[in-house]
Amino acid sequence: MGKLPATVLRRPSLAAGCLASSTSHTAAAAARAHLPHPSSPSAQSGAGQVRHATFVPRSRRPYQFTQLVQLSDGSTFTVRTTSPAALYRSGKDSRNHMLWQPTEKSLRNVEVDEAGKLAAFRERYGKAWDLEGFKEDGGPAKAAAAKTAAGDAPAAAATATAETKTTDARAAEPAQEEDPFGSLVDLISEYATEDKNIKGGLSAKDQARKEKSAKKK
Amino acid sequence: MASLRGLSRPARSLPLSPLARHTYTAGSIRCASSQAGEATSDLEQSTLNASQLSPEEKKDFRPWKRAADRKFGLPSGRYQYHPPKYERGPLHPVQSPASSDPIARDFVPGPFNLPRLKQTYHSTIASDLMTLAYMHVPPGTPGKERPERLRGWDGSSPYHKNRALRGPRGNPVLPLVERDVTFNNVPEIKEITISSYVPDAIQDADHLLVARSVLLALTGTTPEITRTKSNVVQWGIMRGKRAGVKTTVHGNAAYEFLDRCIHLVFPKIKDWKGIRATTGDSGGNLSFGFNPDEMKLFPEVEINYWMYPAKMLPGCRVFIKTTATSDRQARLLLQSLGIPFYGEVRN
Repeated sequence: MGKLPATVLRRPSLAAGCLASSTSHTAAAAARAHLPHPSSPSAQSGAGQVRHATFVPRSRRPYQFTQLVQLSDGSTFTVRTTSPAALYRSGKDSRNHMLWQPTEKSLRNVEVDEAGKLAAFRERYGKAWDLEGFKEDGGPAKAAAAKTAAGDAPAAAATATAETKTTDARAAEPAQEEDPFGSLVDLISEYATEDKNIKGGLSAKDQARKEKSAKKK
Repeated sequence: MASLRGLSRPARSLPLSPLARHTYTAGSIRCASSQAGEATSDLEQSTLNASQLSPEEKKDFRPWKRAADRKFGLPSGRYQYHPPKYERGPLHPVQSPASSDPIARDFVPGPFNLPRLKQTYHSTIASDLMTLAYMHVPPGTPGKERPERLRGWDGSSPYHKNRALRGPRGNPVLPLVERDVTFNNVPEIKEITISSYVPDAIQDADHLLVARSVLLALTGTTPEITRTKSNVVQWGIMRGKRAGVKTTVHGNAAYEFLDRCIHLVFPKIKDWKGIRATTGDSGGNLSFGFNPDEMKLFPEVEINYWMYPAKMLPGCRVFIKTTATSDRQARLLLQSLGIPFYGEVRN
C-alpha cells in the first residue's frame, strides 16, 4: 500500500472531527471503547479513529550469521545462515563429485590391484558376473571395454593377465556352443544352490498333518 | 557563566548561590589553561581544570534526594519516535514509515552479501541462456498462427451471439503458453517453497515443533502450519488437523538455499543420480524432495543435529518456482545452475 505524506492529507473535515471529539470528551471515549485494539495517544488526539486498521507485524526471524563456506577444492564464499559456525568446511561437495566433475580422473572408482591379488581372489571365489570373461547379452566386448576404460591405475602385469584371460574365454566360447546342455545344467544347479532357506524336510508331525488335510480335500 | 563551565557536570548542577560560585572558581586550582583567558576556558571543557568539591558540597550533592522530592516525573531526555502499530489506510494522517526505514516495524535489514549463485546467474547464466535459446527469425516473417485455445460457438442459434467462449474439452484449466526466451524474458528463480508434511503430528504435536524448527533453521523464516485436506481413516488423518509446515523464501534467500542444496547437500547423498526429469507442473515449476536421512546433511541441521529427536526429523518437499512458462525452460535454467536430471523427460 502506498504511503502518502501526512501533511498533505490534513483535511478540514478531519480537523473538524478532531475538534468535535475534543469538545465532547465522552463521545470520543465511547468511540475509543469500540476500537478493538488500543492505539497510541498521539493518534487518539491527532486523528479520528478508523475501523479498518491493520496490524503491522514485526518480522519474526532467527538471527542469521555470515558464514564462510570452504569447498573441498579450497574455494571460499560467504553465506547468510542460521548456523553459528564461522567456517564450514565441506568434505564432499560438487567439486569432488563424479556427477559434477565427470572428467576428473581422480574421482573414478578404479581398483588398485598392482599385485593382482584381487583378480586372483575373484578368479577363485568370484561369481559368474565377477569373472573376467563374463558376457551379458552384449558379449565379452562390453566387459573388455569396461576393463580398458577403468584400467588406468592397475599395473601392466594385471592388464596383461586380464587380456590373456579374455582370450582364454574367447577360445572357450565355441566349446560352450557345442554343448548346449552344459549351460542348462549350470542353470539348474545354480537354482539348486540358491535355495538356502530350506534347512530340512517337514517334521513327522507336520507331515502327518499335511497328509490329513490332503485326505479331507 | 563562563567560569561555571570549568566545573564538572555534577558541580554545575549544585544549587549554590552565585556569590559562592564566584568565590569558589576564584579559589580553584591554578593551572596554565585556566590562566590563558576567558576565550580558551570557554573552548576547553576538560576534566583537568575541573575543581575539587569541598566535603560540605559533596554532602549537599544528593541527586537521589532531589529525585525523591520531585512531585512530577520529568519528560524523557530525548524524543523517541515509535512507528504506529496499526496501518490505518492511505488517507489517514498517521502514516507508518516505509518498510525500508530502519525504524519501521516491518523493517528487515540486509542484504548482507551477494549470493554466489545469484552473482553467477546475472554475470554468466542469464546471457548464456538467452544466447542458447535464440532462434533467428528473418525480419518480415509473419508470426506463427496459434490455434484457438478457447472453443467458439458455431452460430447455429441466434443466442450464440456475444456468448463467451468455451474452455477446452476435458481439462477446464488452460495450460500456459510457452514464451520465447528473449532479452527481457530470461527464466529466473522466483521463489522456493519448502513444505514438510508430518501426519504423525495429528497424534503427537511434538512432530510439528521439530518440523517447524528444522524449516526455520533451513530458511531463516518462520514457517506456517498447514492442515490436512483429506479425511482418510486408514491413514489416521483427519481433515483440518494441523499436520505440516511450509515456508517460502524469495530473492537472495532462495538463491542461497538452492546453492546449499546443489553444492553441499546433493553431493553428500549416497548414490544420488539427480532429480527425476519427469518433475514439473508443465508451467515452469519443478520440485524435488529430501527424506529425513538427507535432511541432516544440511549444514544448519548438521551443526546441532543432536538437538532434534532423530525419529521425529521430517523430510521435506522443495518447490522451485521460476519465471519460465514451460518445464523445459525451467529445466534448462536449473541445469545451468548445476542440478543434474535423470530419466525420461516428459514436458
